Amino acid sequence: MEFSLASIADSIDQWLNAHCASWLALTIEFVIVGVLCIGLFAVLGLVLIMMERKVSAYMQLRLGPNRVGPKGMFQTVADTLKLLVKEGLTPAGADKFLFNLAPFVVMIASMLVLAPIAFAKDFVIWDVNIGVLYVSAVSSIGVIGILMAGWASNNKYSLLGAMRSGAQIVSYELSAGLSILTIVIFSQDMSISSIINSQQDGWWIFKGHIPVIISFVIFIIAVTAETNRAPFDLAEAESELTAGFHTEYSGMKFALFFLAEYVNIFIVCAIGATLYLGGWMPLHIGNWEAFNHIMDYIPSSVWFLGKTFFLIFVIMWFRWTFPRLRIDQLLNLEWKYLLPISMFNLLLATLVAIQGWYF
Amino acid sequence: MLSVNAYSIIFYLLAAFIIGNGVLAMTTRKIFRAAIFLLFSLIGVAGLYFWMHVEFVAAVQVIVYVGGIVVLIIFSIFLTQQTGKDMPRPTNTRMIFSALAAILGAALTYSLIRQYGFIGGSGDQFNVSPQRIGDQMLDYQDTGYALPFEVISILLLAAMIGCIVIALKSKPQES
Amino acid sequence: MFLSKYISEVFGGVKSLLTGMRRTGYYFTHHKNIITQQYPNQKPVLAERFRGEVVMTHDENNEHACTGCTACELACPNGTIKIVTKFDITPEGKKKKAIDTFVYHLELCTMCNLCVDACPTGAITMSNSFEHSVFDRSELTKVLNKPGSKIREGVE
Repeated sequence: MEFSLASIADSIDQWLNAHCASWLALTIEFVIVGVLCIGLFAVLGLVLIMMERKVSAYMQLRLGPNRVGPKGMFQTVADTLKLLVKEGLTPAGADKFLFNLAPFVVMIASMLVLAPIAFAKDFVIWDVNIGVLYVSAVSSIGVIGILMAGWASNNKYSLLGAMRSGAQIVSYELSAGLSILTIVIFSQDMSISSIINSQQDGWWIFKGHIPVIISFVIFIIAVTAETNRAPFDLAEAESELTAGFHTEYSGMKFALFFLAEYVNIFIVCAIGATLYLGGWMPLHIGNWEAFNHIMDYIPSSVWFLGKTFFLIFVIMWFRWTFPRLRIDQLLNLEWKYLLPISMFNLLLATLVAIQGWYF
Repeated sequence: MLSVNAYSIIFYLLAAFIIGNGVLAMTTRKIFRAAIFLLFSLIGVAGLYFWMHVEFVAAVQVIVYVGGIVVLIIFSIFLTQQTGKDMPRPTNTRMIFSALAAILGAALTYSLIRQYGFIGGSGDQFNVSPQRIGDQMLDYQDTGYALPFEVISILLLAAMIGCIVIALKSKPQES
Repeated sequence: MFLSKYISEVFGGVKSLLTGMRRTGYYFTHHKNIITQQYPNQKPVLAERFRGEVVMTHDENNEHACTGCTACELACPNGTIKIVTKFDITPEGKKKKAIDTFVYHLELCTMCNLCVDACPTGAITMSNSFEHSVFDRSELTKVLNKPGSKIREGVE
């Protein structure tokens, strides 16, 4: 049997249903999916932080972590262990309930967004029919966690960081949403699976040419801002606000914020890969049967992860190249440049889609 | 029967979550906590929509209320209130009038329910694809909603222009 | 015109961003010219002018150039240097001022180089050594003139 994640999932499902009652099988499957999600989060956190540190080091002609394990590969594991054993302080003046709740809200929000992402062919937790709309809806819950953390800390830096982050995320959600809409126009559906299937004969970034490329650029900029990453990391600008909204957090609660940041990067890059680069769909070119067939030999999960990590690398590249924006520059960029351009681009995309000027 | 039971158990859990958070939002003395409980209550409503398999409405509920309105409420709290201060107790007259309003509302609801009762669902699930919602929304025939859609968009446009006019800085007079 | 200015602004911005990304991309792919010096394993390359600590140069005959004039002591802004002088008897029977001990408090030194500038005979210089950590603070108080050393002939 050919290796694929979907066939493994199917055989587990059949085995469970053959050996226990259907409700018990369903419950066990829920548990398995939950454990897998949490495991994915932990692994992603370790891998992405390591990757970020190595990428940043190489871009600055440094070596990066190189002491713990071969080439410093276990550095993040050691960091995690350190964070686990640290004391989680709660400041005396804080609103204790909200202070402790905030990291979990941020984490749960990014966990929920994981549901409609297709990791491989036919391998998706919940193929909801509103796919991308669900993603942009649920990802907006995360900002509440940040606002909560900023307010509950009872600290001026935290409050300022939270307000900046709120203004930023609410504004950039608009252009992210509009650039997602461009793809929805072309693929004529919002569910992730049908968007991927519409890229059977080529990815949208090649098929949709100018409007899709413009919307891809806007999407990448907007999601970089939405995940609060440099050059848009005003929410935690360390030179101005100590650490922004998580100034008062320590130990595992801080680790959850940190982890959520990296998981969010993974998620938005996975969405970007799905919309513009075909998700798990191998590189197909029109009707070149032989070429398409060769590409099909690479497993779909490898395609998906490859594209996602490529986009993650691009976002990291941004971070280690560009200086941080000021808050007025940040809002100018969104309201005076990205939003008008993406609205115009939406019109262009509609025109192209109606006239059939795409491949 | 178990699947039906699980289905209704989820409904009651969601309902309890919504009502519980609503009550907490009303009773807490910390204004920021009230906003957060309101938010959880609205998320619970979105969960109810998911439970009813109307995913589009659920996502719109989350976008509009959680991503938009509650964030704006929280912003206005940030800009006006001090952290960690309890709100003052409401005055007695206000308590009496709000109690009266609540009792009247409850009585109205109760009488309506008594008069008409709950009609059981027809059993078949909603089947609303986003395409159908979009078609319906832009349909200008008798069954379509193009006119209300446009009217609402003009209302929102008017509100937006009004906001810009209010927020516009008057240019300093050249002297 | 507004529109053309707007468009040229957008393209100019994108171009400058791409220029920056090309630079970092170049660094990322050209991993050979790394500038990190892995210190404990690898002796760091220090600049010649690096100021590690004040030393007194002695030649092979164990002679130095310090006349004990205390110009450095006076020049030091935070009292790092303490010179104890004595009187030597020259062969002609005259008394001559010379240093007994040149005490240098490394723990007070800010490496400002003023003492080296003040020295009329070039007896003291700044060395490149930087591994100064010790277990006890008293070890940082150093005597710079080596035992048994004397002033070089002809240095006044």
